[in-house]
Amino acid sequence: MEPFALIRPANAESARLRVVGAPEQRHLRAAGVDLLDRLKEGLEAGKSVELIELKAIAGAEGQALRAIGPAGDGLGLGALVTLATIAASPALPAPFAALREAAGSAATPSVRNLATLGGNLLQRPRCWYFRSRDQHCLKKGGPACLAEGGENKFHAILGGGPCHIVHPSTLAVALLALGAEVTVLGAAGPRTLGIAELFALPRVDVRRESTLDVGELLTEVRLPAPRPGQRSTYEVAKEKRSHDWPLAEVAVSLVVDGGVIREPRVALGHVAPIPWRATALEEALVGQRPSAELFADKAALATQGARPMAQNAYKVPLAQGLVRAALHRACEIPIPE
Amino acid sequence: MAEAVTVYTLRLGLEGAIKDVKIEAPAGEPRPWDASAQLRVIGHDTARVDGHLKVRGAAQYTHDVRLEGMLHAAVLRSPHPCCVVDSIDVEPARRRPGVQAAIAVAKAGDRLLFAGQDVAAVAARTRAEARAALAAIKVTYRPAPFVVDTAEAMSPSAPVVHAAGDAVTRRTEGDEPGEGSGGSDKGNVRTTPSMKKGDVQKGLRAAELKHEATYTTQCHTHSALETHSVVVRWEAKDKLTVWSSTQGIFSVRDEMVEIFDLKPRDVAVITEFMGGGFGAKFGASAPGSRLGWIAGELARQAKAPVSLLLDRHEEHVCTGNRPDSIQRVAIGATKAGDLTAIHVVAHGSAGIATGAGVGRNAFGIYSACPNARTESHDVFANTGPGTAFRAPGHPQGAFAVELALDELAAKSGLDPLALRLRNVTHPVRKRQLELGRERFQWAKRRADADARRGRGARVLHGVGVACSIWGDYGRKGAASVTVEVGRDGSVVVKNGVQDIGGGITTVLAMVVAEVLGRSVADVEVKLGRAEFGPSVGSGGSQTTSSVAPAARNAAEQVKAQLLEIAAKALDRKKASEVTLGPDGAFKAASKSIPWADLCKKIPGEAAVATATRPGNYGTAPLNLPSGQSYEIAGCQFAAVEVDTWTGVVRVPEILAIHDCGRAHNPLTTRSQINGGVILGVSYALMEQRVMDRRSGRMLNPNLESYKIAGARDVPTIDVVLTEVFTGGNSTGAIGIGEPATIPTAAAIACAVRHAIGAPVRDLPLTPDRVLAALGRVT
Repeated sequence: MEPFALIRPANAESARLRVVGAPEQRHLRAAGVDLLDRLKEGLEAGKSVELIELKAIAGAEGQALRAIGPAGDGLGLGALVTLATIAASPALPAPFAALREAAGSAATPSVRNLATLGGNLLQRPRCWYFRSRDQHCLKKGGPACLAEGGENKFHAILGGGPCHIVHPSTLAVALLALGAEVTVLGAAGPRTLGIAELFALPRVDVRRESTLDVGELLTEVRLPAPRPGQRSTYEVAKEKRSHDWPLAEVAVSLVVDGGVIREPRVALGHVAPIPWRATALEEALVGQRPSAELFADKAALATQGARPMAQNAYKVPLAQGLVRAALHRACEIPIPE
Repeated sequence: MAEAVTVYTLRLGLEGAIKDVKIEAPAGEPRPWDASAQLRVIGHDTARVDGHLKVRGAAQYTHDVRLEGMLHAAVLRSPHPCCVVDSIDVEPARRRPGVQAAIAVAKAGDRLLFAGQDVAAVAARTRAEARAALAAIKVTYRPAPFVVDTAEAMSPSAPVVHAAGDAVTRRTEGDEPGEGSGGSDKGNVRTTPSMKKGDVQKGLRAAELKHEATYTTQCHTHSALETHSVVVRWEAKDKLTVWSSTQGIFSVRDEMVEIFDLKPRDVAVITEFMGGGFGAKFGASAPGSRLGWIAGELARQAKAPVSLLLDRHEEHVCTGNRPDSIQRVAIGATKAGDLTAIHVVAHGSAGIATGAGVGRNAFGIYSACPNARTESHDVFANTGPGTAFRAPGHPQGAFAVELALDELAAKSGLDPLALRLRNVTHPVRKRQLELGRERFQWAKRRADADARRGRGARVLHGVGVACSIWGDYGRKGAASVTVEVGRDGSVVVKNGVQDIGGGITTVLAMVVAEVLGRSVADVEVKLGRAEFGPSVGSGGSQTTSSVAPAARNAAEQVKAQLLEIAAKALDRKKASEVTLGPDGAFKAASKSIPWADLCKKIPGEAAVATATRPGNYGTAPLNLPSGQSYEIAGCQFAAVEVDTWTGVVRVPEILAIHDCGRAHNPLTTRSQINGGVILGVSYALMEQRVMDRRSGRMLNPNLESYKIAGARDVPTIDVVLTEVFTGGNSTGAIGIGEPATIPTAAAIACAVRHAIGAPVRDLPLTPDRVLAALGRVT
């Protein structure tokens, strides 16, 4: 790993401006969990690297970046809030359980103590062709996606092409189900966008996973006020019980009102290059009485349109199974033994 | 003339079936510790004497060695799975910052056979400088056709990995002693001699029940916490010191002696502590990288000590692995469940090397079966060399034959445990299976699981059982242990063995404390240096059984010297009139002299004796089918839970029942079994080298996507030791390190089959495969 300079910006705006000056070499660093991995593997430019230390931002702005608290009608979470904090936060009301569960499931306790909300949302994918210095894949400027016809067990079944990564953010899945928005600081000042608009498919720009402009800095995530009767849950399957990436994950948010499901939002992770809304399933659930039979019957809609590759067709039933489990828990119908 | 012998009548056998047995031990051998021996230290849980050093970070591993002026080495590795080196120039690297030496390892014209093979190396002031300098080395490679997939490599149209005669069948100290030999090649396939008895074709024709299927296992890389590492310092032009993370101090010495044409006494090797080894750490080099020569030559040229520590990527690609396997298994039985034939045809790839056999499981465990044949083939491929890996061949072989047995049992409505009990003849194994049946509540758990499946539950439960087979390979005369009792009363035991984590340090202190009436804390153990006397490599599960009896014999000789001195001090004519009590006091009739006072009477500095151990004597319950050594039996029972919605398999519990002779330190014996089980769970559920067929590179050379079991994946492990008193050596030690990992994955696979009612015939048992077996993947 090449030596790098650590820059301590006075505020978010100066951090942003610093990156804009030389975006290839200058990286915003929160915990750096992912960034240092990429630097060690030689995936980023090696010379004259600067890490701009967001944790150095002090004062009211620094506090806001680390805070969880009321924001408008809803709840705001600063970009530097750690996963461990989210997992244990009393400020997150019960309807947002999916976010707590998601944050508590990721990586390991030691990583969760460091890793931040902003970093989790903007981390780069774990595709082994992308992550290996030995492989020149499409995302790194190569001629083709190497997962096509290669080792694609962990790749996308939905939304893939021309690159077939899965998005690595677990928090994004929960936030998508909860209808979150993010605030970003750009050249024209702060702007707000829906969490879904933060991510783009590879066919938009194969080199990037987010829609942020160069230097644009994610400062806050906002959750809308919980609706009466809202419940949410998160389910994940991994090959290892800890310190592993999901094979697939799902977050569900819904309201049971008058014995029927209202406002269902179902988001899938690790099945597509972006956190994936299962809209066909949502439509099928609206107004239905929750039951084990309903969930069994409709779960297949969660992966509607799936086009598995040679080694990942298993993600289809797996994601459906997770959806069933999440719906059971969200509707308080016991999962079968 | 017959050798002089001493005849002892000992209490020997398996607990509960102890008999008087008359044995002949070589003259001078002390009365072996048998079932009637009253032992104060041996057999009692004893915390590791060096545990506090490890916990405090005070233990010095090779990775921790810092010498004055020490340089750091880095190795340039081939990026191509097969290529010819057209030219190589290391000069530009010499001019890079901090670089003190640069050497070419490959030369123009060399054909390199796997991605990761040594090309060149540099030594610089820092590791970062050394790594950066590698980029300056100019190499022209001419890529050549390659194959990395085992099945593809077997095809007649596959590129041929080795030119005829180039591939030498290689063995290491980590292999099972007595196994293996040469073979004949056809394309990339080398046929090795088969193990056979009876006539399997006849046995299959006679069978009323038959089962035939193909089973595969993955390539499993060694993931010892401490990577391969070596530090070399030249003390003079013909004299050097080597620090090495090794399982065999003397194999390191011998390799350096050979490479640099030195005298054995001029090569000092030090391994005070080492961070794990599973068979890949013998010699100064790694199986796929010439570490000893690289570090030694860089140190020689730079005239400074050189530290060469591999990173995790290198550890995965060039330091050995457990070969994969493709096994065609055919078994036959009578309707009652008497096996008539077991036939295994195995292919496996040890990459560019040999050693992909599948062990003795199919051949040796179900010994009532009259017809058995195991045919093994090595398949060459352009991947890093396989090497010994904890019970080489056996976990793969156990998986195939045990799961095949369960499939046969399921087809015919036989209980898998009853089927096994019918077909084993080893009395200890039989006893273990019966014991497990009760302790594991086999019948109840099976019935509960069957009922659960019948109800159509989401999470299915299953139980499975599998056996292990290994031999007592304790070596005659290989370890010379010295025991010294000083005039100040201090006790030192010395031997040039390495403690790879099994706990031999503590066992040596215990043995000597037992004989000399001392406490464990009173005995200083010196090991980890060649100068402390010849010893064995830690392979074949032979460390304790080779070293502990030698330590006892040396301690007994010192004790005899002390008894002579005590006899004089207590006015006795003969030493035999004096006893040494557990409190260290020497007594004769009513008179006694305490340890400290007696030691002051030692003439000279110390009472010293060096001893070794003879070959096995005594009688054993059963020998290995093909050999003289005692057959070590074991079995494991697994309970699994399978989530049919996700395909995820959990292993909540393993019952591990193992013979280990006399467990010298039950605490560390159980710890070794725990380690074997955890390794087996990891192998069963997640570990897998993934090669990219198009680039010939490993895609997961890390510990993120090469997954090893973490704390939450570890089952509750219930260890039962069925002690067997063999009378084979003076302490009754036999091996346990390797047998403990043999049956784990097999038992888990059998339990998964039981749970879901369908076999998953490929390891690891990942959710994709389980969902496919459940018929849920379309």
